[in-house]
Amino acid sequence: MGDKLIKRRRLTMSWNFEKEEQWLNDQSRQGLHFKKASMISSFFARDESVQYTYRLDYQTGQTIGNSKFQEYLDLYQDAGWEYVSSYGSTWHYFRKVWEPGEQPQLYTDRESLMMLYKRLQRVMGAMLFLNLFIMIINMVNLNTFFTERLWTIGIPMMTLYVGLFGVLGYGCWRMQKKVNELKLHG
Amino acid sequence: MKEMLPLTEAFYYILIVLYTEPSHGYGIMQDTEKRSGGRVKIGAGTLYTALNTLLNKGLIELYPVPEGTDARRKMYAITEMGKQVVEAEVARLEELVQVGRQALITNKR
Repeated sequence: MGDKLIKRRRLTMSWNFEKEEQWLNDQSRQGLHFKKASMISSFFARDESVQYTYRLDYQTGQTIGNSKFQEYLDLYQDAGWEYVSSYGSTWHYFRKVWEPGEQPQLYTDRESLMMLYKRLQRVMGAMLFLNLFIMIINMVNLNTFFTERLWTIGIPMMTLYVGLFGVLGYGCWRMQKKVNELKLHG
Repeated sequence: MKEMLPLTEAFYYILIVLYTEPSHGYGIMQDTEKRSGGRVKIGAGTLYTALNTLLNKGLIELYPVPEGTDARRKMYAITEMGKQVVEAEVARLEELVQVGRQALITNKR
């Protein structure tokens, strides 16, 4: 078993959390059990004797360590989910010992799943507008401080922002697609 | 109140369970599974979201945890408004079932 954690590249976007679950479950089948995540890496502990089903949950308005968070964990624990760790204060990783033929889910109906996607979409949308606002302020400032050769800093900055807006906008669109799919097919 | 209807199965079962007596999250899950003969299983995420929504809408409220039980587990009780909503839903479902049954009887295959 050993306590040494094994590091793997983590390249994931928020709207792909179901893919990340899938990846963690695949790793667990091979004896690598997820412990914690940083922005670019995931850390695993090796144990060949067990296999888990991992699920991610997204909750806003939680402060890790306070009593409301503890109540949240208690509820999930009562339902048989072991709390693994959190990424930021919004993504929470849970696991359950894997049982053949079982696919345990945190969200068991379409309404609550839609609410989950909408929560994600709202946060991405808010980030988009916040950044748009910051960009405008920055541009106004740049304009006053760098009257000459504005493009040398303006163009790279614009490129970065456009990229960021692209990512966030794409995320919002993906969530909307998921919501619409649920509306149509359940 | 009418805009709450129809209730989802999860909301319906939570309110029905609490209509009987105050309970905590885990109790609601187990009771729901039992009452539905194992058909309806409410996942932890669904239950957590639903409880928060019902609290916000005032259909349920926190119930003081009785002495001698696990104080860490929050308990929930149905409010007067919650009772009215669930009663209206049962009446609505009764009407649906009645209409459906009648159609099946008169057009027996």
